[in-house]
Amino acid sequence: MKTYSAPSRLRVLSTYALAIILVSLALFVSLALQHTFGNPFWFFFSVAVILSTWYGRAGAGWLAVVYSTLAVMYYFTPPLHSFGVTPSDLPFFLTFVGCEVGVAQLISWRKRTEDSVRQARDELEVRVAERTAELKDANDALVRQMVEQRRTEETLQVTRTELARAARITTIGELTASIAHEVNQPLAAVVANADACVAWLSREQPDLVEARAAADRATQGATRASEVIARIRSLITKATPEKSHVKLNQVIKETAALTAGQASKNNVTIEFELSPDLPYVLGDSIQLQQVIVNLLMNGIEAMSSVPDGPRTLVIRSEPESGGQIRISVKDSGIGVSADIMPRLFEPFFTTRSKGMGMGLSISRSIIEAHGGRLWAESNGSGGSIFQFTLPSGDGLGA
Amino acid sequence: MKEQDPIVFVIDDDRMIRDGLHSLIRSVGLRVETFASAQDFLTAKHPDAPACLVLDVRMPGLSGLDLQVKLGEGGIPLPIIFITGHGDIPMSVRAMKEGAHEFLTKPVRGQDLLDAIQKAIASDRGLRRDRQELNEIRARFDTLTPREKEVLDLVVAGMLNKLIADQLGMSELTVKTHRAHVMEKTRAESLAHLVRMAEKLRTSTPK
Repeated sequence: MKTYSAPSRLRVLSTYALAIILVSLALFVSLALQHTFGNPFWFFFSVAVILSTWYGRAGAGWLAVVYSTLAVMYYFTPPLHSFGVTPSDLPFFLTFVGCEVGVAQLISWRKRTEDSVRQARDELEVRVAERTAELKDANDALVRQMVEQRRTEETLQVTRTELARAARITTIGELTASIAHEVNQPLAAVVANADACVAWLSREQPDLVEARAAADRATQGATRASEVIARIRSLITKATPEKSHVKLNQVIKETAALTAGQASKNNVTIEFELSPDLPYVLGDSIQLQQVIVNLLMNGIEAMSSVPDGPRTLVIRSEPESGGQIRISVKDSGIGVSADIMPRLFEPFFTTRSKGMGMGLSISRSIIEAHGGRLWAESNGSGGSIFQFTLPSGDGLGA
Repeated sequence: MKEQDPIVFVIDDDRMIRDGLHSLIRSVGLRVETFASAQDFLTAKHPDAPACLVLDVRMPGLSGLDLQVKLGEGGIPLPIIFITGHGDIPMSVRAMKEGAHEFLTKPVRGQDLLDAIQKAIASDRGLRRDRQELNEIRARFDTLTPREKEVLDLVVAGMLNKLIADQLGMSELTVKTHRAHVMEKTRAESLAHLVRMAEKLRTSTPK
């Protein structure tokens, strides 16, 4: 970076030397020309003073003025070769000296102005360069921060997906008995129907119509079992979220099928109030299924401690104004006390002895990631109602 | 009186299983009626025939075990074959205590179920026969006059005519006449037969 310090001694000396050389040169040229043409060519001294002042600043200028005055006194004004001036030549000589002084003064002002302008310009340039460098640094830092933030966000996204999957697997763990029932049930149908088929074929008069019907039912049962397996597999796969057209009513029915065992074990009846003209939503069906599993399991859990009375879980879907869909799960359980209500959706908050306490928290983040809202309230008759809204897609998806 | 063909009642909430069991049981020539819930079964009319019940333990609404208790209370002693997806011990103990005929786990092998059904029907047939016999005996004993009943009680207690006459304040001849009427009305072939019949009535009466 350039800085403006006081001119160095060497530089000052060199300007004085320049002044002496220039004036000597002017002296030499003037003498030579006077010798040839007879006229005193004093204006070369003016040139020397101008150049000295211009390149060497005021000090050198004044030196040139003094030196050329002395030189003129010595070589050109009578008496020659002495530092005196005859009275008749005095006006001429004084005019010369005045001119020299005036020129030196003028040039020196001019030079000073120019210098200060240049210095101001240079300083400005330096300042601009400095600020530009600062800006560039700030910009670089910002870019680095952005990259870092993006990386953090990606990590967060991955972590969130992983957590959601972990929660799904935990849920599946809790659902094991229910799922076993769900798989065993169609298998029981397969065995019963296959046995029936064999029995019809082993009669003295084989009844092919009955045998075929039984075989068909066995096939249906096997298909149903494989569907259950596929649903479970889709819940535990390490899939990154994918948006597709989701038919929520279908998701609700499939999910309810997974929890049916859990429900019947706890003597809970699941009732459906599904709107037939529900628009589809754009979302990840596995994650939405996860939310519904969580809400159903919570509802069942809430009612398992109710000693008497009906244990009914009502799951309802309905289109709402403003292109929204509302899904609600209403239980007739013990309800949620007012002091717990605000904490329900906090991570790791649970009232159950086993359970990670992540279900509702993850459910809310899933619904919010889908542009919706999930909340809980009392249903007015003891139990609670959990509901969420989602923006709907364009077409009918019921 | 010609006995009606035996009938198997199947109660399971799963249609596919219901149809499979229906078909399986029909294939061996038995009559089958299926119900989707315990309530449906309770509200339906049942033919008077040897029967048994094939019941899923776990059903929405009234569970298999609840139905078993209800049937017991209602005095419909139908042999029950339980089918369960998860044969946990407390549940099977409870079912057996309540008099379950058999406890099979899902998926049930067809032959096991059919064997269990045949045994249950045979058992019900026996029970029905006993019940019918008891009813007939009771009907015959109901025709006795109060005096004859008094004589009967003492005869069955092993007292001789003379002692009975003393106790009831009547002549030995009158006792003999009453005794003859008792033997006739109850169609007892011997004193031992009469005692057996009286004993049967006595043990079943507390109900």
